[in-house]
Amino acid sequence: MLRFIVRRILITIPTILVVISITWVLIKLAPGNFYSGEKQLPPAIEKSIREKYGLDKPWYQQYGKTMWGIIRLDFGTSLRYQGQSVNTIIRRSLPVSAAVGILAYILALIVGVTAGSIAALKQNSKYDYISMAVAMLGISIPNFVLGPILVLIFSLSLYWLPPSRWEGFPSRNLVLPVLTLSAIYMAYIARLTRAGMLEVLRSDYIRTARAKGLSERDVVIRHALRGGLMPVVSYTGPALAFLLTGTVVVERIFALPGLGNYFIQASLNRDEPLIIGIVAFIAMTLLLMNLLVDIAYAYLDPRVRYQ
Amino acid sequence: MSSGKFRQILGFVLLASLAYSNYSCAVVSSKEDFFGSTTPPERNILRYVTGDEPESLDPAISNGQPEARLYMALFEGLVEYDSKTLSPVPALAERWHVNNDSSEFTFHLRTNGRWSNGDPIDANDFVYTFRRNLSKETASRNAYLMAYIKNAQAYNQQQVFVRDPATGEFLLAKDFDESFPPEPLGGSPIDPAKSEYLPDPKDTTPDPDTAFHHQMHTPTRLTLPGDEKSRTKLLNVNTKLKAAVDGKEFVPVKGEDIGVEAADKYTVRISLVQPAPFFLGLLAHQVFRAVPRKAVEAYGNKWALAEHIVSCGPFKVKMWKPYDKLVVERDPMYWDAANVKLDEIYFYPILDNTAVMNMYKVGELDAMYNHAVPNAWLHLMKYKKDYMEGAEAAIEYLIINTTKPPLNNAKVRKAFNLAIDKVAYSEWRKTVKPLTAFTPEGMFAGYEQPKGATFNAAEARKLLGEAGYPVVQNPDGSFSCPTFPDQVEFIYNTQAANKAVAEWFQAQWKQNLGITVGLRNMEWKTFLESKQKLDFNGFSRGSWSADYMDPFTFLSLFYTAGESGTGWQDPKYIKMLDEANRTLDQKERYHLLAKAEEYLIENQPIIPIDSPSVNWMKKPYVKGMYPNPGCLYPWKYVYIERDRAKWDYSTPSLDAE
Repeated sequence: MLRFIVRRILITIPTILVVISITWVLIKLAPGNFYSGEKQLPPAIEKSIREKYGLDKPWYQQYGKTMWGIIRLDFGTSLRYQGQSVNTIIRRSLPVSAAVGILAYILALIVGVTAGSIAALKQNSKYDYISMAVAMLGISIPNFVLGPILVLIFSLSLYWLPPSRWEGFPSRNLVLPVLTLSAIYMAYIARLTRAGMLEVLRSDYIRTARAKGLSERDVVIRHALRGGLMPVVSYTGPALAFLLTGTVVVERIFALPGLGNYFIQASLNRDEPLIIGIVAFIAMTLLLMNLLVDIAYAYLDPRVRYQ
Repeated sequence: MSSGKFRQILGFVLLASLAYSNYSCAVVSSKEDFFGSTTPPERNILRYVTGDEPESLDPAISNGQPEARLYMALFEGLVEYDSKTLSPVPALAERWHVNNDSSEFTFHLRTNGRWSNGDPIDANDFVYTFRRNLSKETASRNAYLMAYIKNAQAYNQQQVFVRDPATGEFLLAKDFDESFPPEPLGGSPIDPAKSEYLPDPKDTTPDPDTAFHHQMHTPTRLTLPGDEKSRTKLLNVNTKLKAAVDGKEFVPVKGEDIGVEAADKYTVRISLVQPAPFFLGLLAHQVFRAVPRKAVEAYGNKWALAEHIVSCGPFKVKMWKPYDKLVVERDPMYWDAANVKLDEIYFYPILDNTAVMNMYKVGELDAMYNHAVPNAWLHLMKYKKDYMEGAEAAIEYLIINTTKPPLNNAKVRKAFNLAIDKVAYSEWRKTVKPLTAFTPEGMFAGYEQPKGATFNAAEARKLLGEAGYPVVQNPDGSFSCPTFPDQVEFIYNTQAANKAVAEWFQAQWKQNLGITVGLRNMEWKTFLESKQKLDFNGFSRGSWSADYMDPFTFLSLFYTAGESGTGWQDPKYIKMLDEANRTLDQKERYHLLAKAEEYLIENQPIIPIDSPSVNWMKKPYVKGMYPNPGCLYPWKYVYIERDRAKWDYSTPSLDAE
């Protein structure tokens, strides 16, 4: 097991460096600069700006500087946001994205697994149809539609909840973004659970368990659920990585100071260090999550462990 | 799908849509006077959205309007904008003298100006600010606004003077450039017999005289590029200059050379390279606001972060969480702190207009920035008593790439202008007024703006025919222009609203000229790059808001090469502007500027489209905020009125009380 983990981590490092190199090249190829605006700058001022930020250096020096920074986990200073270090920006916005993302995922897990299990156990009953219809809606309504509808109902008409902004954790401001964000995951998890459970419920070992005379409760909770949740577990890794690192649409609709918002703005602003920093961070999180999923898999499914 | 399942889903969808339409109806049919809550905040605070996240709190860095409003809370300059007219009013300078041709300005500072850390503000702070904001190290994008100051541009561009090592004399600009304008009063030797200032009955003590003052009153020195490569290139084409420079030494232009001096502890004198009657109004711009030398030198580009910032405006930073909120509080050190009415201002950086409107409705916002009301909401908001609308010092126009055929032909450009019905366009856009010239109509009192051509489709087709692209009428009444090259296009940055506008123009040209102009959308920075490099054949969108309240802020877009994005530059036009600015009589100057504007629209490097209106909302209890043409608010006059009788029940008037 330990060898497995170490080997996976070692593979991760070159992957991250490749991801960053590709990002770096793409930024350099993209037209426009962080300082370009509606008003065209006199060439002399443009030259001063390029010198000030080291953009006049040969490409290999700029690339080397970026890579050396990544290795030391120092992502440099933002070009657009004068004097703010990328590390500070990530440290400040990550908790916002993570709070919303994790809460949304927990909610999605609770509701999704429950609804999915019920649907599977009572296959073709009205419970099954209702939960799957709702799940279908959850998957097909994009969150830029769901978010404003929730705001319209709960903030603008009923005045129950604030329509947007971050007021720390925990606060009432979290309710709507978490609901909006969790909908699609909730729906997806419900469908995954249902499919997984249906498959497991028909398998031999469940039949064995039933034949042994175990109560239905034990069969479901101890045996079926454990096997039926495997698809959900493998889905959790990438899903959590994306949720942690921010979701652009929800952060925009609810004006949350999260990482997703920064990422989009950084790309639009051609803010090179900030883009690279966030890409590196997301890549690391994603790879770490996948590693954790693999470990969890090995724990949950004996077949994986013995291979 | 089984029918039972289908029925359930259908039922749910119907229920949901019913609920939705109910709620939207609730908004639509609302007959309320105001939009949403009108409960004032409990404390004396204002909650405002100024737009996107600020780039920096350093007033030299950003050139955006969202930041300009933050800087107005945190920093003060020699003058400040008037809340209604935006004309310059005393700020850290309590009074000033302007010489007779507006080429030299003497400012007397108030002696009680203080930084937020308690340090006094004196003339040296302004000298430092001007030099620092022009320096290569600051690399300010706003530095071009300071170019009127003597030697400022040469310093900013790292140029060199040329000195004769034997005599110590500098070469002069006028000896090498026949078109160099005569020296203004501020650049001619001081004549002790007559004062270049009109006598001021209220203040008879003469302004302090200094050696530097005399030095500024000498003819403008010749400056050459600082780097050897471009200098050699320049000298190789100009043999006269090359011969004169031979054997001379090059002296870099330094910050000490620019025309700003501390004549004494509380007197700042600014010498300009040309007469600039609009310069006083320009001085309220952010790049002229005082920055704290000690903090800048101690913390470099981190000085404007919340932990280091030292400010000099009516408010100081209390808390700054980027992309979340900036809280400023009344600064007790501010010279006029007693008259600052608000305790705090919360600035929220929010990009999404719908989010802004939502917060405003539920009463979490007291006012919002210009154009935050989404277009689709206008027909509802226009009738609310808290909706603000007024003339804006801005224009919208189409940029034409005049360097590529067929649009390098002025007749073709005119035809495209004549073929657009701008009145219909303005009715469609709701908040704009049709524009035929290049300055916003009626914005500058006393300025007789020229009238450009209005919609005339027949004339447009005739012009196009004269240019060699005959337009023929089809049997069904439509037009076509078979010989017109089909690579002419309209580029715009990707956004639903821009697309609709582009399609509108496309339809006009199709209908009136029979020409289909291709549309090409691109991401914002790519769009800017294409514009800058003239890498398109046809039209693109342009807009400009005034940097100061004078027609020249618009007309000067065609003053410097490459700045307008059209490729059009005409020495005659530049000469006309120069001549106007040298004219002392304001009426005559305006007349000459109008002539230049007429010449500009005659040449049609742009197609004027409209002048927009400011449109935003503020709660009725917010007082002291006016829909002025630049949407810039001197925050110290803003307050929360708790007496309902004194609320604003309509757009407050911009007339003096």
